Amino acid sequence: MRTAVQVDKISKEMCERLLHDLELAKRPVLRAIKTSLDNTKYDHKVGYLTPLGKKVETELNVSSVKKMSRAIFVLEILLRNLDSGNVANKREIYYVSKGEIKHNKELKPLDFADQNESDATIDFICELLEAYREDLNCYANDRGGQTYSQQLVVTETLPDGTKAEIDLSSLGTTPFQPRNRPQALKLRAKKKIEFCVIVESEGTANTLQANGFTKRNPCILMGAQGVPSNAVRGWAKLIQDELKIPMFFFGDLDAYTMQNIFRTLKAGSAASLIRNADFSAPDVKFLGVLPEDIAKYDLPDYSVKEHDVAEGRALKKAADALGNDPFFKDRRNRGLSAILDWLIANKRRCEQQAYWSVNPRDPQMPEKIIIEKIKKGNFV
Amino acid sequence: MASAQKITSSSTAEYFAKNLQQVGFSSQTKAVLTTVKESVDNALDACEEEGTLPEVWVEVEKIGAGSSKNSDAIRVTVEDNGPGLSIEDVPKVFGEYLASSKFGKGRCSRGQQGIGISACTTWAQLTSASGASVVTKTTNMRQAVQCVVEVDIKANKGVLKNKESVDWSERGKKSEPKKSGLKVSFEIDGRVQWGGEGGLLAYLNGTSLVNPHLTLHYKLPPQGDEKAEWVDVERVTDVVPEIPKATEPHPHTMKLGEFIAHSHLFGKVKTAAWLRKGFSRVSDQIITEVGKAPGCKPLMDKSVDALNEAEFKALYSAIQNAKFMAPSTKSVLAIGEDSLSKSINRLGKVDFFSVMSRKPTIADFKPMQVEVAIARREERGQEPDDPATILRFANRVPLQFDKSGCALYQAITSVNWRTYGLAQPKGSLPQGPYVIAISVVSPFIKFKNASKETVDASDELVEEIRRALIQAGQKLSRHIRKEAKEADVEEKLRHIEQFGPILVSTLCRILKAPKKREAAASAGLAKLLGRDAKVAEGELEEASKILAAATAKMDAAEAAAQKELAEAADPEEAAEVSRKHGAEEKKEAKKAAEKKKAEPDLAPVKAAKRNGAKADMAAAEKTAAKSKQASLFGGDELPPPAGKSGAKKTGKKPAPRIGRRK
Repeated sequence: MRTAVQVDKISKEMCERLLHDLELAKRPVLRAIKTSLDNTKYDHKVGYLTPLGKKVETELNVSSVKKMSRAIFVLEILLRNLDSGNVANKREIYYVSKGEIKHNKELKPLDFADQNESDATIDFICELLEAYREDLNCYANDRGGQTYSQQLVVTETLPDGTKAEIDLSSLGTTPFQPRNRPQALKLRAKKKIEFCVIVESEGTANTLQANGFTKRNPCILMGAQGVPSNAVRGWAKLIQDELKIPMFFFGDLDAYTMQNIFRTLKAGSAASLIRNADFSAPDVKFLGVLPEDIAKYDLPDYSVKEHDVAEGRALKKAADALGNDPFFKDRRNRGLSAILDWLIANKRRCEQQAYWSVNPRDPQMPEKIIIEKIKKGNFV
Repeated sequence: MASAQKITSSSTAEYFAKNLQQVGFSSQTKAVLTTVKESVDNALDACEEEGTLPEVWVEVEKIGAGSSKNSDAIRVTVEDNGPGLSIEDVPKVFGEYLASSKFGKGRCSRGQQGIGISACTTWAQLTSASGASVVTKTTNMRQAVQCVVEVDIKANKGVLKNKESVDWSERGKKSEPKKSGLKVSFEIDGRVQWGGEGGLLAYLNGTSLVNPHLTLHYKLPPQGDEKAEWVDVERVTDVVPEIPKATEPHPHTMKLGEFIAHSHLFGKVKTAAWLRKGFSRVSDQIITEVGKAPGCKPLMDKSVDALNEAEFKALYSAIQNAKFMAPSTKSVLAIGEDSLSKSINRLGKVDFFSVMSRKPTIADFKPMQVEVAIARREERGQEPDDPATILRFANRVPLQFDKSGCALYQAITSVNWRTYGLAQPKGSLPQGPYVIAISVVSPFIKFKNASKETVDASDELVEEIRRALIQAGQKLSRHIRKEAKEADVEEKLRHIEQFGPILVSTLCRILKAPKKREAAASAGLAKLLGRDAKVAEGELEEASKILAAATAKMDAAEAAAQKELAEAADPEEAAEVSRKHGAEEKKEAKKAAEKKKAEPDLAPVKAAKRNGAKADMAAAEKTAAKSKQASLFGGDELPPPAGKSGAKKTGKKPAPRIGRRK
């Protein structure tokens, strides 16, 4: 993560380089990290996907002059926000730019036809500066997953410098959901916390909580909201780094969950190469549903509908991932790639809620299985 | 049949007098148009028969109120410089139905059955109680004869009235007696429609487009307060189209009844001789083959007038089962690309045009030829999403009504014009200031009705027209592509002017840079982007040069092809070559369609290559790809004109002509 001072410095250096080249009638070139799988490597010691070093170059010419002018124009707005400490989301930036153009007719050619255009410009700036948009005070309306614990205490530093302390055990049935500013949070365990479970479905996490999961177990329980957002990923990373407790992910047994949800939570993604360092939790283990659980607990599973576009695509992507994704190709992750192999070979899937079928009259049975699996080391 | 009602018979004239709507007199406006049209058609046919360069004067006047409600009394006068009619023929031509010199002759004349002009006389008679006023003079006459012709409706005969000899001088030269010619005048009830697809102007413009050798003078009633004035449209070529000789009928185009009736024309000749002389494509080999059919051998030496019905039937069946060469295409009379190219400028100012003349071919077992001209008007009077103007012609006569059921219209809507850069809603006409003219010539055009307004749409005919349109479209797209490139250069120049100063001033604001730096950076940026603009302009110039060179090369190829065609003396051989090429063309079309599926974007380039400008068009495409414009134009591509594969070897393929007018 970059501080406001760093972002300002990098931006001005870039602008200076641009202006200097122009003064010399030299064609300036902007370079940004190439965010694609072919520019990705995985090292288990690092724990997340990192860039190989390929860059995308944008040279100033008659075709790119519009894109560059827009980028510098929006950068000026973002730098002004950083300077004044104000924040804005992407939609607000879109309207700020509209307002600037309304008051200065000379800027009319830069006008954005819709928000997609200004969003793309903000993303381009982030790639150029290798910064998150949160570093530019452009926040998404995004919060970490709903979190429950009887032991966790969070101290948040507010923008005005004051501190707020939140004891999660005092929130009753209300979950804790932090904003996406992990750098403003400090964690403390008032009693020993033994583990953290991140549940793919937030609804399932809430059910476990309602049935007394955190009352009986000294742990942190969090919902992942499906594909984890930056806020969820940043929050998980903070828990891992600050508390250093075992982390487990509990979700469906299918190709989509494995590649798009679990892999992103654990090692980040190719699209977010520049932010994987701060937004991945490499210590998270895959608790289940594991293929062997189906037989062991006699879980109801069902076959993948190959004619279903989404499911078919996920299976195809799984096959590609085994061949091309450095995360699944790493020998340390062979347990995970074995699960993908099993999914491709058997074309079956099993949902996390299937644990409720093991003893339909015992609502605590899923909890018992989760705890048993953790104790016996039955995870990948 | 228990009825005691009396069965009566009526004459042809009676039938048409009661059903004039079937021959173009279904409304007041159509009545005026049909009268002009039939008179002009007759004048042009007469001039061409004699090899005279036609000069026609058309005058339409309002002379008062009409006898029927909501109509005007209109006088239509058409004069020509043709051979004139002998006074004996005048009542037959103007007053008798189905009296024609052209009926069933297998020629591409405008008139065919001898109905139209008699219907005009009938309409004049019914609405204003006057027939046709005719002045005629042949070269053999010392003085012209003036008379009035009326139709004896009961007897289907023309009646001459008020016949007198008069002096008739050439127009504008009172002292010079007229050599020959005919002037006909009708006073009818009707209303004048100037504009629109069914208007008089559309007819007159269309007629001058497809008759480049015609000098036309016309004077229409004034619109509003304007004064009626003569408009002169000069001919653009001095070549009178050579009327092809009529060919004998092909046995496969006849029905049994026609077959028997045909034999009556020959009297006492042996059947084999009748077949040989009375039909085309009947060779000795065919006679032998037909003779082998059951019961046919003894018939060959028998006199044809002695054959009974059963024998005719056996002979007819044997002939239908025999394999014949396709009919000759020598009987079609086309306008020609040269003449069309010259004539197209008579439509008004055009930006550019493309003309395509297909080789004569056989469709539905009948010889025919399709020609297409597409032009973009310089004046953009209409809305951008207005449909293109469609001009349809059959045997060089404009078709102005009932377009939706017409084969020509269907062929236009079946083409994907978007691939050539024209806007087109799905399944509709293309949009924009374009004129698409299609001419079909054939001795046997299948009209849907007696008023000859719509051509019946068979699959083969529509496909043939479609190919011509596609080829003309490909030529057109090159011009549109060039325009797109010009627009691209303009866009780039606009970018430089618009974004450059903003980029520099924003950078300077962020860095709080002094004015001096801003000025230096602005100068540097202008230098950089100016270089880009020069490169783009250079590319455009290069593309223009390549296009011009390719066009010149294609023109040369076409000239060579036409020369060779002219040298092809043997009609049988020429027809055989044409037929062979037709078959090859179909194969090519199939291949191209399959290939198109695999790589549609390359199609226009391939077509260009086949058209004989291989290297040039490849270079053009390369340049286009450079400018990232290539993807704009895919290819609804078909093989080039007939005889593609023979083109390189024989040079007989007429390449489409393109041109640009400014």
